[in-house]
Amino acid sequence: MKTLKMSAVALATSLIVACGGGGGGGNNAVAPGVDGGAEAPDVGAADATYTVSVVNLTQSQPMSPPAIVMHQSGFNAFIDGEPASFGIEVMAEGGSPVDLLVEAQAAPEHIVSVPASDVALVPPLAISEDETLVVPSENVGDLRLTLLTMMIDTNDAFTGTNAVDISNMTVGEQRIFNQPTWDAGTEDNLETADTMPGPAAQQAGGLAEGFNPARDDIQPVVHFHQGVVTSANANDPSREGLSTSILTEIDRWDNPASRIVVTRTQ
Amino acid sequence: MKLRNMVAAAVLSASAVGSAQAVTLDIEFTNLTKGQSFTPRLLVAHDGSEDLFQVGETATRGLAWLAEAGVIDDFQDPASAGSNFQAELGGTAPSAPNALVQNPTNNWQRFGGLLPPSQTRTYVFDAGDFEFFTMASMLIPTNDAFVGLDSIRVPTEPGTYTFLLNAYDAGTELNDELGTGPDQTLVEAGTGLPLGGYAVPGVAGAPTSIVPVPTTGTGVAAQAINGEVIDGTDGPVHIHRNVLGDTDDAGGASDLDSRVHRWLNPVARLVITVPAQ
Repeated sequence: MKTLKMSAVALATSLIVACGGGGGGGNNAVAPGVDGGAEAPDVGAADATYTVSVVNLTQSQPMSPPAIVMHQSGFNAFIDGEPASFGIEVMAEGGSPVDLLVEAQAAPEHIVSVPASDVALVPPLAISEDETLVVPSENVGDLRLTLLTMMIDTNDAFTGTNAVDISNMTVGEQRIFNQPTWDAGTEDNLETADTMPGPAAQQAGGLAEGFNPARDDIQPVVHFHQGVVTSANANDPSREGLSTSILTEIDRWDNPASRIVVTRTQ
Repeated sequence: MKLRNMVAAAVLSASAVGSAQAVTLDIEFTNLTKGQSFTPRLLVAHDGSEDLFQVGETATRGLAWLAEAGVIDDFQDPASAGSNFQAELGGTAPSAPNALVQNPTNNWQRFGGLLPPSQTRTYVFDAGDFEFFTMASMLIPTNDAFVGLDSIRVPTEPGTYTFLLNAYDAGTELNDELGTGPDQTLVEAGTGLPLGGYAVPGVAGAPTSIVPVPTTGTGVAAQAINGEVIDGTDGPVHIHRNVLGDTDDAGGASDLDSRVHRWLNPVARLVITVPAQ
């Protein structure tokens, strides 16, 4: 169930669709705080349809199930230089898009988003499944895409798009965004098995903690990520690496870390 | 693309659309790094005859002053007189610190003091009727890293233009990553000069760092031997390969911190707004 037909007023129905899909560890609390109320239309002749996919460009950083939101201009899930929202913190530390989706859906600019139960982890070097979003035609002229995903073998790194402009795409048009990485600024980058949620920490036998409400980053605002230090060269005379890190040199990346591909199909 | 070609193209397009018009730019500049600060920003509008830096070509002395010491004009450091960007851009002295300087072939202005990580500053810059816009600022603490934007066409249509800027290595100094500290225990081999500024080894701006920069490293791209460091170059101008840093304040190779001072490009965002007429 990777294709989901929704519109701005169809979120109540989207819940049903999500539950009905059933697969993939579905989380029924997908769209709290939004009670669409109106009838959920099928894709009408006047609606525009888009597919969105994520390419994980990193060597070994799995990317969490992305939060995918289409909205009008005026909404930003985050602004670098300012403290992260709760939803960004939860996403960037633990990999869950749920709270970020709640925040986005509460914004008046929100048009449509993909339920958390419908998205999956994107492995390193992999291309995600296409997700389909339906937008009323009157929104085509002022349309933004926010797609955010955690790099889960980190403390709080994330990548994706921050309200990129996808306005006025024609049918068949494709837009490609090669994107950098941000640090949520909500968690110190200790790179230990106890503080990162991904497979690297799990294999190292740590607590692999995800979200933690404490905010202890030296730079407590969203900023561009400096990359992981890793344990490489931690104990040679250079002392370049971080001896407490359970990451290795293969866990590093450079920008861009993700490629977001948007195609208007109808 | 060589600047001369751009100039030729600019002349052609200018004659095609009529005379250029004076433009005042609203500039918003953001430091995107985790732990690097920026020295005062140099903004230049020019006619194509000024090339502050060119990737693949050796840095001018003006760029070396900016990238090694953060110095743009005589006000900042009288010792730079004659070899800084003030000299290269026409020699006219600003009437006051941070004042606009107008020359026949360019307008230039130094803006502000230190720009810490995650901070934004806004400026109003009179670009005159010049075709091109260039800016540069040093990353501290580093040896000779700078953030720059080289000769974009000055936008004239009202609107907002966003540029993400990369960090360059001026290539005029080896990246020894050696702190200088108040004790000045290290000196340049041969001259005995203290480290840290123009034409000597060592990182500049260590006191501005958001975490302490010790003086205990052995050196990264150049070594400290018996309290002396031999200077060298690694030019021409190129994309910076990033600092290495280390995690040991009492030793290790570097005096920078690999958990704080590293970056991944881009390192700055420049937003130019041309106001509606």
